[in-house]
Amino acid sequence: MPPTVPTDPLAAAADAGMSRRSFLRTSAVLATGLAAVAASLKPLFEMEDITSAEQFMQKYYKELTPEDMKKVLARVEREVEKQYGIRPHVRDLKPMDGVEFAYALNLSRCIGCRKCVHACVAENNQSRSPEIQYIRVLKMPHGTFDVEKGDHYYASEKVPEKGFFYMPIQCQQCHNPPCVKVCPVHATWQETDGITVIDYDWCIGCRYCEAACPYWARRFNFTKPSIPADRINPNMSYLGNRPRRQGVMEKCHFCVQRTRDGRYPACLEVCPTGSRKFGNILDPESEISQILRTKRVFMQLKEDVGTNPRFFYYFDV
Amino acid sequence: MITAARNYLVFLRRCARIAFVGDWRYYTWMGVLTVVALFGLNAYAKQFAHGLIVTGMSDEVSWGVYIANFTFLVGVAAAAVMMVIPVYIYDNEELHDLVIFGELLAVAAIIMCLMFVTVDLGRPDRFWHLIPGIGQFNFPASMLSWDVIVLNGYLLLNVHICGYLLYSRYRGVKPGKWFYIPFVFVAIFWAVSIHTVTAFLYVGLGGRPFWNSSIVGPRFLASAFTAGPALIILALQVIRRVTHYHITDKALLTLRAIVQVSMLINVFLLVNEVFKEFYSGNLHVISSRYLFLGLHGHHALVPWIWSAITLNLIAMVILVLPLSRSLKYLNVACVLSIVGIWIEKGMGLVIPGFIPTPLGAVVEYTPSLNETLVCFGIWAFGLLCYTIFLRMSVPILQGRLAKANEGISEPGPDDVVEDAPAASHS
Amino acid sequence: MHSPNRTPLVLSLLALVFVGLAAAFLTDSWGYPAPRPQIPLVDKALLDPATVRRSYRDLIKAKEDLSDFDCYGCHEKGHPPPLRYDENHKLIVPTEHADVVMGHGTHGRNNNCFNCHNENNLTTLQPRDGRELRLEDSTELCGSCHGPTYRDWDSGAHGRINGYWNTKLGPAVKKDCVNCHNPHSPRFPGRKPLPGPHPLRAPGVSEPTAETTSH
Repeated sequence: MPPTVPTDPLAAAADAGMSRRSFLRTSAVLATGLAAVAASLKPLFEMEDITSAEQFMQKYYKELTPEDMKKVLARVEREVEKQYGIRPHVRDLKPMDGVEFAYALNLSRCIGCRKCVHACVAENNQSRSPEIQYIRVLKMPHGTFDVEKGDHYYASEKVPEKGFFYMPIQCQQCHNPPCVKVCPVHATWQETDGITVIDYDWCIGCRYCEAACPYWARRFNFTKPSIPADRINPNMSYLGNRPRRQGVMEKCHFCVQRTRDGRYPACLEVCPTGSRKFGNILDPESEISQILRTKRVFMQLKEDVGTNPRFFYYFDV
Repeated sequence: MITAARNYLVFLRRCARIAFVGDWRYYTWMGVLTVVALFGLNAYAKQFAHGLIVTGMSDEVSWGVYIANFTFLVGVAAAAVMMVIPVYIYDNEELHDLVIFGELLAVAAIIMCLMFVTVDLGRPDRFWHLIPGIGQFNFPASMLSWDVIVLNGYLLLNVHICGYLLYSRYRGVKPGKWFYIPFVFVAIFWAVSIHTVTAFLYVGLGGRPFWNSSIVGPRFLASAFTAGPALIILALQVIRRVTHYHITDKALLTLRAIVQVSMLINVFLLVNEVFKEFYSGNLHVISSRYLFLGLHGHHALVPWIWSAITLNLIAMVILVLPLSRSLKYLNVACVLSIVGIWIEKGMGLVIPGFIPTPLGAVVEYTPSLNETLVCFGIWAFGLLCYTIFLRMSVPILQGRLAKANEGISEPGPDDVVEDAPAASHS
Repeated sequence: MHSPNRTPLVLSLLALVFVGLAAAFLTDSWGYPAPRPQIPLVDKALLDPATVRRSYRDLIKAKEDLSDFDCYGCHEKGHPPPLRYDENHKLIVPTEHADVVMGHGTHGRNNNCFNCHNENNLTTLQPRDGRELRLEDSTELCGSCHGPTYRDWDSGAHGRINGYWNTKLGPAVKKDCVNCHNPHSPRFPGRKPLPGPHPLRAPGVSEPTAETTSH
């Protein structure tokens, strides 16, 4: 029996019916298919904030030379002015030598008024819609630290309410930060003064850090943030409160634009009961060092998770 | 050298052309998949323009169906290796050629995984930040960086193995052992690693006690090795029906044995998990309470998890009984397993990790219409890829698309397929 | 079994479906989240870091009119004003000083104006050790009874400090007790809290709860 050459399906198809009509038909399908693909991409035209070539190519923060950084800051100022009509002053503030920040919160004094929450929003140019707030105040019943029992949405007529204490929670700037460990692109890291910062122009928005944080301190921009132009704070810093883009993470950074200038963070300055304490823990005379030295009862939240926060909760009555 | 390159390009061109050739059932299937994929592309364009606000995700539940599907599909991709082990380690002749169908499924699954991860990114235009050397790759600290390496490596491994074997068969030459056998053995270990690394993504988060448990890794593998081979069992029967490629029932029953044992282990691990979570009354199990019983009036996931458990138990019983030797019942068990495990990995693993939040707030999650369309679109695209892979590989394995018949024409419609015996490729 | 002449039909249908799909995509009428209700902006006045009260020292610094503090404009020198109590031994505050609400200590403790004010020299304050303090130095008076609190205030643990933590770069502005505490009723009254969070997804709902999208 002569060996048969196997049937080539392509050739068979070619023989079986590639007339001009079927060629036209196939082309029609291909053409309409391509038209459908093109039409499906129409929503891309609704994009408001298209990445420029400059933004796309921007290097990682730690690799920017001082000249690069000048250009980047100028670019940020231009963009903010274009967007909000206000010319900001954007700086790149470096950590100070011999400084490590710590924060202490007096749970005996906090009345849960939430002024800190909103002062932070105003200082740090956070989106008002969708709403982003770095600080979340929990209304806790007496006798427990189980956050399950906390109320996030309290709208009492008057605070403090009897039988409750109030616990504001924000980024704890941990010594052993899980968010820094898990970020696949090093977009978040801890600086020498203890602040965990984010390079907003490097973050890819995978939200792994948000899943990793045991304090639910990190926030994501689900869409382009909206800030009313008359509420913009023009004193900005690159790693701090400059307006962020859609699709990147942000969080409390101990007001780098203030604290690296030697000033107190916004949340502390507005607290009506003086419950918030901040300073350089390497300075033994700072109020934060004195508190941690003299108060008998102070604690870190979720100590068992091993993050070793730089945020302490203490009591005096 | 140049001839070799030219021959390869001819081969690729013929493979590409054959993807567009078929009968009306083929065109209908591909047409439907293309339409669904285009709905997905359109939905993604909306998401790209407006951000992830068009999904149902929030700061409280920051990962949703995209990552759930990703997790499930990594398991499917890993499970392709379950066919490789019997063939190469236990010398099972029945499964020889079918290994290629399993590995092609793995390639399609990995493509879908990479797409699901990409659509989940907030700034996909910054993907280059992930490239080692050019971007800032946080290896070895970040488990996501491990995932990037193992998934892309697995993709390359399988593309190489399948590509090499198919091209050798196309040329009618015996494949050189050193060009594929070492890769096959690497692929076996690599398959276990891709799913373990994906499990470690979750396990490594100390702030989420629902995930921070040593059972997550073993459960991932057990459920992957149940759902993956179950999918392959169904896929092989479809291939058999549509292309008349010779696949013995014995091959399917070998896979059945794998699904059976894996499902038993999966259910055993579930029992372990439920006991650990509920017996001691410890407060860290609040997410499990939400999942299985509901919490503070929120119980969106409760019907899902109990359905998944029921489906898995029924599937387990069917698989254990001899009646699952009959393909009718085996297929039912496979479908139940796949659905049950998809729910378990999605709703049963990803979402409860976020509810309640680490600060105790309960915000539930429902995928939005846009999110769902993107998911369907990616699945459709994956099925498109797999269909094209099969459309290219089956004729090659049957010898109908071969170097020998380059340019030779024969009359007759292409899809009346003669029953070509499955040739061994070793 | 198949009929070869179904292929042209299927392909033609497919072309039509693609055209329909392209048209549908151009109308773009699905998949967008519902418009979100507006979240009202917080009144900027509520974020003012100024203290609720101004101390006497603040008034002096601002060169304000201090005639209200001229006690001997009404009282007679050399005649300490008498204190009157009702049958429950509650202090009766004279109508001329009706703005003073006594509440310094529960159960009628500290029920005597002259525990702090000097009855022999009404423009000064008297800690129990015989010293006389000017009104602007009232913090020393508070500290003479409230020792632990004074110690905390002194080290910076009690009360708010504004300005610079790094005093080499700028001033740290510590407050006096009376900037926050009403000396006659030092316990803080309750206040209405500022608005709580507006989560993007209300519990149980998939679509967001804020502003319109640009569409």
